[in-house]
Amino acid sequence: MKRFFTRNSTWLAPASSICAFVLLWQIVSLNVSAEFLPSPLAVWNEFIRLMNNPIGGTSLMEHVGYSLQRVLIAFALAILFGLPLGLLMGWNRICEKIVSPIFEVLRPIPPIAWIPIAILWLGVAEGSKVFICFVGAFVIMILNSYTGMRYVDPLLIDAAKSFGASRSQQFFNVAVPACMPSIFAGVQNSLSMAWMCVLAAEMVGAREGVGYIIIQGMDLNKSTMILVGMILIGIIGSLLAAALRWVEKLLCPWRRELV
Amino acid sequence: MQQTREDNNMASETVSLEVQRENYFIKASKENWISVVSFILFLVAWECTCYFELVGPYQLVPPSEVVTVLFDKFTNPNPDGAILHAHAIASLSLALMGFLIAIVIGVPLGLLMGWYPQVNMLARPLFDAIRPIPPIAWIPIAILWLGIGMTAKAFIIFLAAFVPCVINSYTGIRLTNPVLTRVAEIYGASNFETFCKIGIPSAVPMIFTGMKLSLNAAWTTLVAAELLAASEGLGFMIQQGRRLARPDVIIVGMLVIGFLGAFMSWLLTRIEARFASSRRLA
Repeated sequence: MKRFFTRNSTWLAPASSICAFVLLWQIVSLNVSAEFLPSPLAVWNEFIRLMNNPIGGTSLMEHVGYSLQRVLIAFALAILFGLPLGLLMGWNRICEKIVSPIFEVLRPIPPIAWIPIAILWLGVAEGSKVFICFVGAFVIMILNSYTGMRYVDPLLIDAAKSFGASRSQQFFNVAVPACMPSIFAGVQNSLSMAWMCVLAAEMVGAREGVGYIIIQGMDLNKSTMILVGMILIGIIGSLLAAALRWVEKLLCPWRRELV
Repeated sequence: MQQTREDNNMASETVSLEVQRENYFIKASKENWISVVSFILFLVAWECTCYFELVGPYQLVPPSEVVTVLFDKFTNPNPDGAILHAHAIASLSLALMGFLIAIVIGVPLGLLMGWYPQVNMLARPLFDAIRPIPPIAWIPIAILWLGIGMTAKAFIIFLAAFVPCVINSYTGIRLTNPVLTRVAEIYGASNFETFCKIGIPSAVPMIFTGMKLSLNAAWTTLVAAELLAASEGLGFMIQQGRRLARPDVIIVGMLVIGFLGAFMSWLLTRIEARFASSRRLA
């Protein structure tokens, strides 16, 4: 019995945690009205119902697809622009001096505060949502790649220099691999940020997406629908994070000490 | 707890970077003019975009007008119904309320979870279940439960600030140097005594990192909550600016939100510096 527990501890702990939570939820829901907190079973039934009946003309999986599409486009753009910019800022002092004053002014503004102006600029269509996710992911991406670059051990660069590496070799072969962990922390955080931003953007104004589901649930006064949406959001968020961790293990296998 | 460790590492890196950058800033002051020029160029480009009407006046206003509106907003309640500091105070009091409740509950909970396995087993399921759901997703259900008022918003902000507080205090106390706890044990300290005198002090730096992350989360979530359901506050102000197609009000609101957020983190850093002596234990 004990061996069973130790061998399967990686998935047993979260599984028992979930079971305990569902049990607790069931107990609480028995003691309050069904509109306030529906039971887990009611939420499951609602999930089945939503799988078969479209919400606002779009099926549940299409809603998820819309949200994922926005997040992934914004995320790809953020990596494409943020990563090189952050690395350059950390590498080149002139570049840092040029970008940092503007960046420092924009950085403390939460991405969600961009929603109104994004809607004014780009309308309520796809553009504004992608833009907001992009802002959220971009700032984190820059910050992490910049931090990582500044933290590269100067000893490594000096060693490369004394072996006659050119400036670009120092950058690509020494500095960039050295700040990989920080870059990956940034990639992780920026993806979860983008996921949060897409929710906010969809809640403020959209006809599709997971954020729309929960807002629709609120408008219809259906707590089951909101809870289905929330659980879906949580699960997808965790899956995205897990997928990235897997990619990280493939791309930088030397980073084991943090696991 | 892999994700946690990464988050924390990153956060502490950012903090120590600030220190490093300060020195760097002094050393490289010769190049500071580049920053000044770049910022001025940015403003000029912005001004020109509006001046030559590359974008419509309902989309962007020049920086000169933003400044005028900013000062005007201190006395003029139009177009969103309240003057700027009324909005700011409404937002600040809400954010700080949620944040403080989160600290009062979250930090002790995290510390106890990290020290006592029994507490961990009890609280873990609940905590693990709420962690992956972004605080913003709680807004609809919070409104359904608590109505469109102060309480719903405070609840959401509390949730947002709560998670980083717990995670960081938990990790902080888990990273207590085992040598220290063993020394305390040898000298006959009880488990509770060790927890109070060794565990908590050594977790202080991590707790502060968590508080900074919480403050950030609280402020972001506040804006989201006010965008969706509010009749005052900075989030409401920018949302109102959108409804009336007033980019000047939106930009002023965004800048004030950014400034207040940055100011509060700065304040927290100062408070942390006050407690810096306890860092030696870690």
